[in-house]
Amino acid sequence: MNKSMSNLSSAKSFSATDSTNKSPTASTSGQALVKVSNLHKSYSPTIQVLKGLDLTMAAGERLVVIGPSGGGKSTLLRVMMGLEQIDSGSITFAGQPYITANDGKAKTKINLAVRQQIGMVFQHYTLFPHLTILQNLTLAPRKVRGESKASAEARGMALLTRFGLAAKAGAYPNQLSGGQKQRVAIARALMLDPKLMLFDEVTSALDPELVAEVEQVIMSLAEQGMPMMIVTHDMWFAKNIASRVVFCAGGVVVEEGPPDQIFNAPKHERTREFLDRVFHI
Amino acid sequence: MSYSFDFTGLEQGYDSLLEGLKVTVELTLAANLIGVTLGFVVALLVMSRISLIRTPVMLFIEFFRCTPAIIQIVWFFYCVPIMFDVYLDSVTMGVLALGLNLTAFNAEAYRAAIQSVPKEQHDAGIALGLSPFQRVIYIVLPHALRSALPVLITNGIGIFQQTALVAIVAIQDLMYQGKSLATTTYRPIETFTLIAVIYFAVSFPVAQLVQLIERRREVASR
Repeated sequence: MNKSMSNLSSAKSFSATDSTNKSPTASTSGQALVKVSNLHKSYSPTIQVLKGLDLTMAAGERLVVIGPSGGGKSTLLRVMMGLEQIDSGSITFAGQPYITANDGKAKTKINLAVRQQIGMVFQHYTLFPHLTILQNLTLAPRKVRGESKASAEARGMALLTRFGLAAKAGAYPNQLSGGQKQRVAIARALMLDPKLMLFDEVTSALDPELVAEVEQVIMSLAEQGMPMMIVTHDMWFAKNIASRVVFCAGGVVVEEGPPDQIFNAPKHERTREFLDRVFHI
Repeated sequence: MSYSFDFTGLEQGYDSLLEGLKVTVELTLAANLIGVTLGFVVALLVMSRISLIRTPVMLFIEFFRCTPAIIQIVWFFYCVPIMFDVYLDSVTMGVLALGLNLTAFNAEAYRAAIQSVPKEQHDAGIALGLSPFQRVIYIVLPHALRSALPVLITNGIGIFQQTALVAIVAIQDLMYQGKSLATTTYRPIETFTLIAVIYFAVSFPVAQLVQLIERRREVASR
């Protein structure tokens, strides 16, 4: 599964990065889609979540971030989306630094034009309850980009059809199941044509029988070559979708590598401990 | 009870009472228009991080919440023209006084509602690239309106009763017409009973509406 997915993705629009898919750790800054440098973030003087995190992601990669709770996985994604202030460090997207810490007290600098090329899906759906499904999809394209109602609705319906949700276009979020809501949330993010998708534990709040339908949608995006960064506790999903796995603990990247290596032959004691506990064998 | 009610003779005042009711309803609607819109803006301002904005707005709210409405009306009618050299007709002054009073109370209702908007909704708005202003208009306001609606309507009904106070500054509302009818007919008890029934007849159905909304919401959240 994993091998065929890599082939699929590299065959499409990201053929230039074929080599990085095969030797994932060799991603160079020249080709890097995302480059996180020395990221520090604390919620209070005593609670430091990110302690100098470094991470590079090449275009076309599907990075799965695993690790213990409080290890900084979700915070990393939230920082990348501009939802959190940082203490120091920087993040570059497609060669452009877009999140940089201002030394001293001033706020984190965020280049909005760059950040808007990134889409994010959250654990708790976060659909707007007062809008219909289709309106949830068209709000941002219409208000942020000034797209016409007709055009946005046509694109929205096309996406809903693709996700098997066309019949729900006029429904409100509370009329949908958790899995349907989460698929709508993915569609809503895709409406802005992101160049990178961030998935923050998107199946954690779902009933077990609804997890598959959401993971399938993410798989289908992967097959189309969408670069993505996924935080998940679902190791089966991680194994299947990752082109590279990053083990994050204590606010730094402890170990990274292809899924085979991380899951079958982890080098670090900490990674082994974590995986042992997860699979409790 | 030794008093025997005698409503005969009040018929002559029906037309003027109806006129008065019209004025009362107009005052209520105008005050609510101010209170519902300005209340939201004031709620946003009082939540500002900048104390230079927050403090004066907080004083405005507390002034209207912590002084009797009748004094606010008298004050608007007599003091504002003298202090600020603004001479407006009594109805405008009445609407302003009632509207600002309602603004203060509605602002508190909105503030609570705004604070109840889940953080995740803000995150989603930011992630979709909506500007702070767009997030307020398209996410926060609909949320806040919905959850504040029962309180807004209750406050609105309250203002409907409070309009009776403007009679003292010679606005010809229901209360004013009732007072004159009582004087001309020498039947104050019957007249005030009648206008009490009118106030009740208008307020009661609207108050029921609040219960209906709350019951529907309870069902929806199940």
